[in-house]
Amino acid sequence: MKKLLSFGLILFLSILTACSNDQYASSDDGEWEPEQPIELVAPAGAGGGWDTTARSVSQVMEEEGIVDEDIGVVNKPGGGGAVGWAYVDRKQGNPHHMFIGSPPLVFIPLNGQSQLGYEDFTPLANMIADYAAFAVADDAKWDDLNDLFDDMKEDPKDITVVGTSSPGSMDHMQFVKIAKAAGVDITKIKYVSSQDGGALTQVLNGNADVFSTGVAETVEQVRAGKIKVLGITAEERLEGEVLSEFKTAKEQGIDATFTNWRGFFGPKDMDEGQVKYYEEKFKEVSDSESFKEIRDKYGWEEMYMTSEEYQEYLDEQNEELRGLLDEMGLAE
Amino acid sequence: MGGLDGLLQGFQVAFSIEGLLFVFIGVFIGTFIGMMPGLGPISAIAIMIPITYGMEPSTALVMMAGVYYGAVFGGSTSSILLNAPGISGTVATAFDGYPMAQRGEAGKALAIAAVSSFVGGTVSVVLLMLFAPALAQVAVTFGPPEYFALMFMGLTAISSLSEGSTIKALISATLGFMVVTIGIDGQTGTPRFTFNNPNLLEGIDFLVIALGLFALAEVCFLIINRKDTSLTDKANVGSTKLSKEDLKEMRGPMSRQSFLGFLLGVLPGAGATIASFIGYITEKKIAKKPEEFGKGSVRGLSGPETANNAATSGAFVPLLSLGIPGSGTTAVMLGAFLVMGIQPGPLLVQDHPDIFWGIIASMYIGNIILLVLNLPLIPYISKLLKIPRPLLISLVIIFSLIGVYSVSFNVFHLYVLLFFGVVGYLMRLTSFPAAPFILAFILGGMMEQSLRQALTASNGDYSVFVTEPISLTLLIISLLTFVVPMIKRRYSTV
Repeated sequence: MKKLLSFGLILFLSILTACSNDQYASSDDGEWEPEQPIELVAPAGAGGGWDTTARSVSQVMEEEGIVDEDIGVVNKPGGGGAVGWAYVDRKQGNPHHMFIGSPPLVFIPLNGQSQLGYEDFTPLANMIADYAAFAVADDAKWDDLNDLFDDMKEDPKDITVVGTSSPGSMDHMQFVKIAKAAGVDITKIKYVSSQDGGALTQVLNGNADVFSTGVAETVEQVRAGKIKVLGITAEERLEGEVLSEFKTAKEQGIDATFTNWRGFFGPKDMDEGQVKYYEEKFKEVSDSESFKEIRDKYGWEEMYMTSEEYQEYLDEQNEELRGLLDEMGLAE
Repeated sequence: MGGLDGLLQGFQVAFSIEGLLFVFIGVFIGTFIGMMPGLGPISAIAIMIPITYGMEPSTALVMMAGVYYGAVFGGSTSSILLNAPGISGTVATAFDGYPMAQRGEAGKALAIAAVSSFVGGTVSVVLLMLFAPALAQVAVTFGPPEYFALMFMGLTAISSLSEGSTIKALISATLGFMVVTIGIDGQTGTPRFTFNNPNLLEGIDFLVIALGLFALAEVCFLIINRKDTSLTDKANVGSTKLSKEDLKEMRGPMSRQSFLGFLLGVLPGAGATIASFIGYITEKKIAKKPEEFGKGSVRGLSGPETANNAATSGAFVPLLSLGIPGSGTTAVMLGAFLVMGIQPGPLLVQDHPDIFWGIIASMYIGNIILLVLNLPLIPYISKLLKIPRPLLISLVIIFSLIGVYSVSFNVFHLYVLLFFGVVGYLMRLTSFPAAPFILAFILGGMMEQSLRQALTASNGDYSVFVTEPISLTLLIISLLTFVVPMIKRRYSTV
C-alpha cells in the first residue's frame, strides 16, 4: 500500500511540474507596438524552406533595426506543419507569435491532416515566391518534361516520383499539377515520400526516377553534375548562375505554373493596428537591400502582398487546389 | 590529390588561435549539454545558430561540429550515472554502464566511455579524411530495399537483448512496433492511432520513450525500493584508473566498432543511435561470455560508446560530400551551413576547402580536447552520485522533463513521458525487458517506410529484396544469425 501511495505521489508531483501557464499580453487599438519579443515559428525542422525564410527575415529585421523588440525563430516540426499551426492557434490574443506559411497550409487541411487551415489565422504579409523543380539523375533518358510525360502517358507504372512531403502535400501536388496540364492520368502517378535526405539519394541510386523539390535544393547537385532539372514551375526563367539554365514548364508548352509562396500568419482575430504594424515592417524587410541579396542567393522572387491581397490570393489557391485533390481522391 | 594540401590548410584553420578557441568552446558546450539527460546535439546546435551570426563561416562551423560530437561524447555520462540517456545515441551505453556504476565502479565506467569515445571518434575521423568521397558513393547505393534489409538484420538481435524469456522480449518488441506507428503515416499521409489528438500527429519522439522507460522507470524503482540497503553503497565511485585487463577487453570492441559505427553513420537515416545498438549487439554476439552483458560488462560499454562516436564522424560524410543530411542533427547542421551562406554538396571540397578540411582537422583536435577535458573531470562528475538520493532523483525528473520539452515544445509530450515512465516501471516489475521495445521503436519506423517505398517503386514485386546484392547479403546474414545458434544448440545438447 505504501508503495502504491508513494508511486501515486511521484506521479502527482511530476504532473504538477509538467503544467505551466503562459502569460498573454494585451494590446491597444489604433497604433500598436510590440511589447515583448516576437516569436517566428517555423513549423518544421531547421534547414528547410520555412526555417530558412523565417531566419532570413528575422536576421534582416535585427540587422537593419526594423523592429525594436528581439525576434526569435522557433522550430516546431511535426504533422507537415500542423503542430506549429496548432501552437500559434493557442496564442490567440497574443500578437507576438506568428508562423511562416506556404502552400501546405492549404494542402494539409484539404487532406484532412489538420483541423486548422489558413482561414483560422490572420494573414499578415506574403514575402517571397519560390518554385518547384523536377529533377532526374544526370544519366536519365529524359531531357525535358515532355520526354518524361510522354513516357508517363504510355506506362505510368514505370516511373516513381519521390519527394519529402507526405502524399497530397506540396512535393506531390506540385508535380501532379504540371503533369495534369500535360495530359498525364494523375490518378496513376506513383509517389513515395522519403524524409532524412532520402529523396535525393533515391534518385541518385535509381530507386526513384523523378525528384520533386524546390529550385534551390537542386542547384548544388546540378553544378556537380549529379542530376539534371527537366523543368521548373515558374512563369519565366529565373535569374542567376545555374538557375537561369532551368527551362520552365511553360516554355516547354505545358500551360501550368506552381508558386511556393511564403509569408507570415498570426493568430486569428488580430486587430487592424497590429496587422498594419506587421504589414509595414515586412514591407521594409522586403524592400531592403540585404533581403534582396538573400532572395538572389536562394533563387526566390519578390512577392510582397498586404494582408488583404494575401487573403484573396489564398482563397483562389484554396479553390484551385481543392479541385486537384478531389480529382486525386485525396480530399477529405 | 590535393588532400594533403587541403588537410594542411584545414589544420591552419583549426590551429589558429581563433580556431582552437572555438573548437574548445564548441566541444565544451557540447559535452556539457550532452551530459544533461535528454538535452542533445539538436538543441545544442539550434541554440548556437544565432550566436554564430557574423562569425567567419569556417570558425563557426568548426565550433558547431564541436558541439555535435562533443554532445555525443558527453551523452554517455548521464546514461552511466543515472540510467537517463543524455542523447538517443547513448541508450545502449546505459545497458552495461549503469550496472557498472551501481557496482561502485562509476569512475571506471566513465573512463571506459571516455577512452572508447576518443578512439571511436579519432579512428573515424581518419576514415572520414581518407574515404569521404568514396564512401559517399556507397551511401548513395543504399535505397529502400537495402535499408529494409539492414533494419531487418538489426531486428534479429532482439533475442540477444533479452534476458530470460524470449517470449517476453518479443512481446516487448511488438509493443515498440505498435508505438512507432502512431502519427501521420509517411506513405499515405493518413493519421494512425492518433485518436484525433493533434498532439499525436507527429508521433512520439524516441527520446520520450527512452527517458520514460529508462530514467523515469529507474526513478520509480529507486523511490519505491528506497529501504533496500543494497542501493545505498552506490556513492562509492571507485577508481578511475583502467587496469591492463580492462584495456585488453576494450581493444576488441574499440577496433571493431570504430569501423562498423563509422559505416553505419555514413548511411543517411541510420546514425549514432542505430550504430550504438548494433555495436552492443555485435559485441554480445561474438563475446566469449555473453552472460556478462547487461551486468556491467566492459565490452558491453565500450562497444556502443565507440560506435556512437564513430557514427557521428560518419554522419559528416553524406553531409559534407553530398549535401544530404542523414539525421535530425545533421539536418540542423545543414541549416547552420545555409545560414552561413554555404551549401554543402559534392562541390564543397573545391569551393570551400577551408571549411571541408577545417572541420576534419578540428575533429582531431576536438577529440583530444574532449579526452583531456573529460578524464580529469571524472572524479568530480561521478561525485554527482553522492548527492543525497532524494535530490538526485528530483534532478533526474526535472532534466527528463526539460529534455523532452526542448525536443517538442509541447506539454502533451510530458504526459506521454510520464506514461512511459509508469509503463517502464511495470515492465520492470513483471520482468519484461525494455531494450527490445526501444530497438523495435528505432528500427521499426524506418523498416516499415523502406518496405513500402521499395514495394511502391517495384509495383508490389517482393523480389527487389533478393535481386539487389547488398540487400540479399544482409538478409542472408540475418537468416544465419537465426539458424546458426539453433544448429549449435542441437549439436551441443546431443
